[in-house]
Amino acid sequence: MASPPTEYDGQKSIGGAVPRFSWGSSLAILIILGLAGWSYYGTQFDILDLLTNTEPASRFVSEMFPPDFSLATLQATGQGVLETFHMSFLGALIGAIVAFPLAALGTRNIETVGASRSEKIVRAVPYHAARFVLNVFRSVPDILWALVFVVALGLGPFPGTLALAVHSAGVLGKLYSETLEAVPSRPVEALASTGADGFQSFLFGMLPQGMSNFTSLTLYQWECNIRSATILGFVGAGGIGQQILISMNLFDYPKVATLVGATVIVVLVVDRFSASVRKRITD
Amino acid sequence: MWTNRRESLTSSPPNNRLEIKRVSVAFGRNLALDDVSFVIEAGERVAVIGTSGAGKSTLFRAITRDIGVSGEVRLGGKEIHSLSKRGLREARGLIGRIHQSYNLVPQLPAGVNAALGDVGEMGKTRTLRTFLIGPEAALAKRVEAAMERVGLAGMSATKTANLSGGQQQRVAVARLLVQKPGLILADEPFAAVDPVTTERVLDALLELNGGGASLLVSLHDVELAKRFPRVVALKEGRVAYDGSPESLSKEKLNDIYDGDMETNPKESDEPDEPTGPDVTRLKGQDGISAH
Repeated sequence: MASPPTEYDGQKSIGGAVPRFSWGSSLAILIILGLAGWSYYGTQFDILDLLTNTEPASRFVSEMFPPDFSLATLQATGQGVLETFHMSFLGALIGAIVAFPLAALGTRNIETVGASRSEKIVRAVPYHAARFVLNVFRSVPDILWALVFVVALGLGPFPGTLALAVHSAGVLGKLYSETLEAVPSRPVEALASTGADGFQSFLFGMLPQGMSNFTSLTLYQWECNIRSATILGFVGAGGIGQQILISMNLFDYPKVATLVGATVIVVLVVDRFSASVRKRITD
Repeated sequence: MWTNRRESLTSSPPNNRLEIKRVSVAFGRNLALDDVSFVIEAGERVAVIGTSGAGKSTLFRAITRDIGVSGEVRLGGKEIHSLSKRGLREARGLIGRIHQSYNLVPQLPAGVNAALGDVGEMGKTRTLRTFLIGPEAALAKRVEAAMERVGLAGMSATKTANLSGGQQQRVAVARLLVQKPGLILADEPFAAVDPVTTERVLDALLELNGGGASLLVSLHDVELAKRFPRVVALKEGRVAYDGSPESLSKEKLNDIYDGDMETNPKESDEPDEPTGPDVTRLKGQDGISAH
C-alpha cells in the first residue's frame, strides 16, 4: 500500500544561504570572539577615551588651519609629491621586472606525468628557491626594508625606492605566480600535447592568458607604493613623509596640513587613474 | 629517428601506426579505462563512440601521456609512456588534437593560434620571434593558406576571443593543417558547432587523412560515426564494439548506450542518408585512405 504523501519541507531539506549550525562553525565563532576580546585588552582599546577626551585632537586639528600656502611651502610640497611619485613608480616597475622571472620559476609545472622521482625533485628545486626568495622579499614590511637600506646607503629617496622595489617584487611575484597557476590549463595542455616544450607552453599558453592580470596587479601595486612612499620618509627614506616628519617636529602644523592635503590628493588621483586603467584592461 | 617526421609520414606510413595494448587508467578507485586494446593502422579512420564517461576523452589523454596508464601505447613502434622528455615532445609533435572546447589561447590572434601547429618544430629563436613579431614569411604563408582553407581568409589578425565558437573550431583545424600531424585525435569536435561547420571541419580532417594521417574521432552522434569505415565503442572503460558500422546493430547500440538509443534522436534504423557533400561513406571504404 502506498504511504500517504507527506508535505515537502523545503526549508528543512535545502536550507538558506547561511551555513547550518555545526560544531565546527560554532567553535570557529568562539575562537574569533576570544581572540577579539584578548586583543581588546592587549591593546588597551578604549573607545570611550577617544570619544570623551577630544581636547588634544581638536587642538592639533585647529592648529593646522589655515594651511600654509606660502610659496616656500608649496615648493617643498611639490618637491615632496614628485619625489613620492618617482619612488612609487620606479619601485613598482623594478619590482615587476624582478618579480616576473621569479614568478615564472615559482609556478608549479603542469607537466609531471611520467616524470621520474629524480626529475620531479630537480624540477622542484627552482620552484622552492624562487618561492623562498619571494617570501623573504614579501614578509619583511617595506618600512623595515627602508630602515635596512637607509643604514646601508644613507638618507634620501634612493633607499626608499629600493625598499619599495624589494617589497613590490615579493608581493607581485607571489601574485603573478598565483595568476599563472590559475590560468585555464586546457589551452596550455593542448599546446604541450602537440609537442610544445615548457618554455613554449609558458610563452604562448600561460603568459597571454595572464597578461591582463599582470598589468592590473602591477598598477595596484603602484597604488599601494604611493601610499607606502608617504610613510617611508618617517625613517629618512625620502618622499613627502620626510617633509611631514620634519614639520611635525618643528610644530609647523599649517605646513603639515598642506603636505597631508597634497598627499591625499596625489593618492586619490593615482588611485582613480590606476583603477580606470585596470577596469579598461580587465573588461 | 623522429627528425623530418613529415617526410617520413608519407614515405613510411607505419611510422604513425597506433597500438593500444592492455591500457588501463584509474582515477582513485574508478577505472576510467579497463584493459583497452586495439590497433589503428597508418592512415586509418576510426570513430570512437560511447556514453559520457565511457572513457573516450581519457583514451585520448592516455595516448598523448597527459595521464599515466598501465599498459602500452605505441606510436610508430615507440612506447609513449616510456619515452624521455625530449622523445615525448617529438612523439607529441606527430599528434594533432582538436577538442570540443577548442582549447585555443583566446588572447592571441587567430593566426598565431594556427601558427602554433608548428610549435613542435620551432627552436628557441623561432619561438621568440613568433612570440614577439609573429611567424616568419614561410610559416605565415602556410597559416594564411590554412585559414583560407577553413573559410577564415583575412581573419588571421582577429583576436581569437572575438570569434564565434564555430570559427574558433575552424582555427583549431587550421592549426592542424599547419601542423600536418601523423595522427589526429579529435575529441568531440562537432559537439559545439553548427552543421555547416561540422561538414567544413570534417572535410579538412579528411583532407589530412587523405595525406596519410590516421584519424581517431570521438563522437556522440552515431549517425556521423556510421560514416566512418570503422567504429570503436567504449562502455564503462572497456571496448564494447570494434568493427564496421554495418555490423553495428541496433541491439548492440542499445547495449552500448544502456538502452538510451531507443530515444536518441541522432540515430535511426534507416540506412545512411546523405546529409551533406560526400556523406554516404567517407572515401576509402576499407578504412585506409588512398594515399
